[in-house]
Amino acid sequence: MKLPPFEYHRPAVLEEALGIMAEHGDQARPLAGGQSLVPLLAMRRVRPSHVVDLHRVAELQRISVAGGRVRIGAMARQRDLEHDPRMPGLVRAAIPHIGHFQIRNRGTVGGSLCHLDPAAEWPAVALALDAVMVAASVRGRREIAADDFMLGPQTTALEPDELLVEVIVPLGDEGFGFAEVTRRGVGDFALVGAACHGSAVAVFGAGPRAQRLTAVEELLRSGSGSRGEIAALAATEIQATDELHTSARYRREVAARLVGAVVDASQTSGGLP
Amino acid sequence: MKVTVSVNGRPWSGEVPARLTLSDLLRDRLGLTGTHVGCEQGACGACTVLADGEAVRSCLLLAVQADGMQLTTVEGMGAPGRLSSLQAALLRHRAFQCGFCTPGFLISATEILGSGRRYSRQELRELLSGNLCRCTGYEPIVEAVFECQR
Repeated sequence: MKLPPFEYHRPAVLEEALGIMAEHGDQARPLAGGQSLVPLLAMRRVRPSHVVDLHRVAELQRISVAGGRVRIGAMARQRDLEHDPRMPGLVRAAIPHIGHFQIRNRGTVGGSLCHLDPAAEWPAVALALDAVMVAASVRGRREIAADDFMLGPQTTALEPDELLVEVIVPLGDEGFGFAEVTRRGVGDFALVGAACHGSAVAVFGAGPRAQRLTAVEELLRSGSGSRGEIAALAATEIQATDELHTSARYRREVAARLVGAVVDASQTSGGLP
Repeated sequence: MKVTVSVNGRPWSGEVPARLTLSDLLRDRLGLTGTHVGCEQGACGACTVLADGEAVRSCLLLAVQADGMQLTTVEGMGAPGRLSSLQAALLRHRAFQCGFCTPGFLISATEILGSGRRYSRQELRELLSGNLCRCTGYEPIVEAVFECQR
């Protein structure tokens, strides 16, 4: 199918982009890498009057290190982060699972976090890293904790006139692990997955949004718990829902085993079970 | 909106509606029908082209976003009688039947081979999994690309 008509904006600087959002926010969609928005437009699932293309706003692509944290511009492409040594190990472990390389050539961090697909990798990674989302509008900037940013499937805490401009993650590595299960090998949408950074654990794909597992984390911090015990506790904590192809029970059990595996990986090394 | 691109080394400039995808620009306005449109949602990979040297889905890029880019389509890779080494390898391995997916595979393989790395057959199978083929079962395609690494 073909895209519906819309008015196209191509701001060159952030100030201009925020001005457009202030004027048309509730009728506008920001266009990041287009790997989710363009199919949604083609399927006519969304019909914004205005599309605000952010790919010429250079400051949104910037990646910088300050104060022991990495500030990732929302328009940084997955491709740019995949081999960036400044990224936490969890980010570098998760990114090869995001779509295929052709998708990562265009897809962005901010796009993924604002689209908030329940099966997407970034929301769980952001939760496990205690990432901070920086939102901007003509009214100013505010920081939103990853957990508060994700309201539900495809629903963020952003106001209609706000743009996600930066994602702040910790610098340096703690033990990390990442794993997911797909129908068709690498690159396919995940059925479920798990991410671990230090003693922080998150799962995705099981329910409507990525979830931190606080009971599992407590067990990890106590320094006890075998892989089997960790998985069993995770299974009691994971909020899973039925989906077209898989039952809640299946997704809960597979996600719980992945939690055991990523925790294991985080305590050895390499990050990939 | 006005768009200026370079396609297979030739400049093109024209007015396009904002909602026109790059794949439709290439096929309908420039007559470059070697870029195939399959799913129109980024899943099948048939429309993959090189944009500034990187393989991207041309169905997921607005033509206006391609403004200023250097684009390469399958038409820029070789021609009958003077196939590129990659095209010749696919032919040698009978790596297509209907041929619908072939342009996308050629473009994706171009970026893969351009990395200069030598991949195992399993790594190539994963790298090429962003392109769907419903005829060959992938074996001859993987073999052809594997051979081109030498």
